Amino acid sequence: MAAAMKSEKPVPVADQLSQPLWDAAKERRLVVQRCAECGYYNHPPRPACDRCSSQRLEFAPVSGRGTIYTFTVMHQPSVAGFEGEVPYINIVVELEEQAMLFMVSNLPHAELDQIRIGGRVEVWFEERGPGLVLAQFRPV
Amino acid sequence: MWHGKGKTAIVGIGYSELVRQSTRPLGLLALDACREAIADAGLSPQQIDGLATYPEAPFLGAGTRDGVDIVSVAWIINHLALASDVRWYAQIETGMIAAPVIEGAHALMAGACDYVLIWRALHQPRNYGAFSGARAAGDAQFLAPWGCVGVIQSHAMAWRRYMHDYGATREHLGTFVVNSRRNANLNPRAFFYTKPMTRDDYFAARMIAEPFCLFDCDVPVEGCVALVMTRAERARDLRRPPAYIAGHGQNTVSRRSLLFYTLDDYVANGQSLANKLWSSAGLGPADMDAAQLYDGFSPSTLYWLEAAGFCKRGEAYAFVQDGRIALEGEIPVNTFGGSLSEGRLHGMGHIAEAVFQVTGRAERRQVPDAAAVCAIDGSPMMRGSGIVVTRDP
Repeated sequence: MAAAMKSEKPVPVADQLSQPLWDAAKERRLVVQRCAECGYYNHPPRPACDRCSSQRLEFAPVSGRGTIYTFTVMHQPSVAGFEGEVPYINIVVELEEQAMLFMVSNLPHAELDQIRIGGRVEVWFEERGPGLVLAQFRPV
Repeated sequence: MWHGKGKTAIVGIGYSELVRQSTRPLGLLALDACREAIADAGLSPQQIDGLATYPEAPFLGAGTRDGVDIVSVAWIINHLALASDVRWYAQIETGMIAAPVIEGAHALMAGACDYVLIWRALHQPRNYGAFSGARAAGDAQFLAPWGCVGVIQSHAMAWRRYMHDYGATREHLGTFVVNSRRNANLNPRAFFYTKPMTRDDYFAARMIAEPFCLFDCDVPVEGCVALVMTRAERARDLRRPPAYIAGHGQNTVSRRSLLFYTLDDYVANGQSLANKLWSSAGLGPADMDAAQLYDGFSPSTLYWLEAAGFCKRGEAYAFVQDGRIALEGEIPVNTFGGSLSEGRLHGMGHIAEAVFQVTGRAERRQVPDAAAVCAIDGSPMMRGSGIVVTRDP
């Protein structure tokens, strides 16, 4: 058996499309790719707009407010770095700027009873390591 | 209506053992299933001149070793003494195992070959489904760092939303799961053949990704199921009654890129498959004597009941109550136990059971006078395929 090692949580690999989003997070700003042609927000960021196929895309700030669309509680230690946190909560946040504009977040397990679909949340930023800042959401 | 309706048929089925972990490599299980399917059809391997499969091992961290993790067309050609010059083959990358069946029908009708062998082989390593990549690229960069990366989480979150939107509860879903186990208890090939499940058992099962418990997930098995197809004229001379392919459909809808599937996706995507399935067969849900609907996770079957028009959107959780989908009910569903209780054969068990039902070979699970049965593979949100088989051409 392999020695029990505390594994690191997966580290996001920023690419050409997503770099601005991760840079903004380091500055505690939440941005989402937005089509300059039709105004549609695309997340994850895409090479062409999901709605109109335009390639005129930029990153726009969003308020950081949204509602809980759905959630689950994971009991399997399948993801490296989360073994010690099982059971842990994932929520899907629908940002207020656009229907079905989703991001995922964690919530402390102690708050499971307070989770309501439709409940309001706002963004905060978790500093997970040097140069790595992730957007998370918490109930308001 | 499809001009090919009734022109091809499935004429033989073969199963390997279905176990958690086999002592034999997957390739040998595939040979067992293929040989049995060919013999079931009353043919010899040398008569097989067409081959097709969908080889993908459907989980995170799957390997690609041929004969161990997957069984490719090349592997079968090299290890089974088929026709000395195989004339046609297809190795399909997407669309589930019903996709090669559809391709096989087209090839047969085009005269590309005379007898097609199709198999689905599944390997189960000891540990799987684990995301151990230290770096998450692509869409995973927006999921994995939050510990949200598995298919099960996506499905669990969709079902949670369904519960909220329509008032469904775990009790409603449990009725369906228990019904599938009841059917598996009549299926000698099923992994859980000898293990009944009560409602208490369902609610005592450990949670995996809430609200899914262990029994909301298909039971992983190692094994292979194979079938043989040919044109209708030849089918009539063989060993078993033919199961004619009456229609087919595939999910081809384009969907916007989201981090995970929504309930809107399962309706639109499911209808993309179902609409084509029904119009090609010239049949509809009301014409089905039974329905084998994919159940990778338990709600998938409920979504299919809605997307394929057996009931209205948001009603499936009520539709599956009160024995309506039981073997003796109005529309028997997953009469063999489904992937949930027969084993995770990734849709091949659904096709096999559809064939058994319309050919009178379903033993104690036989739906009386079954003449038309659909088999739909894949969750409605994802690329999938389906067929309708009939007793008569």
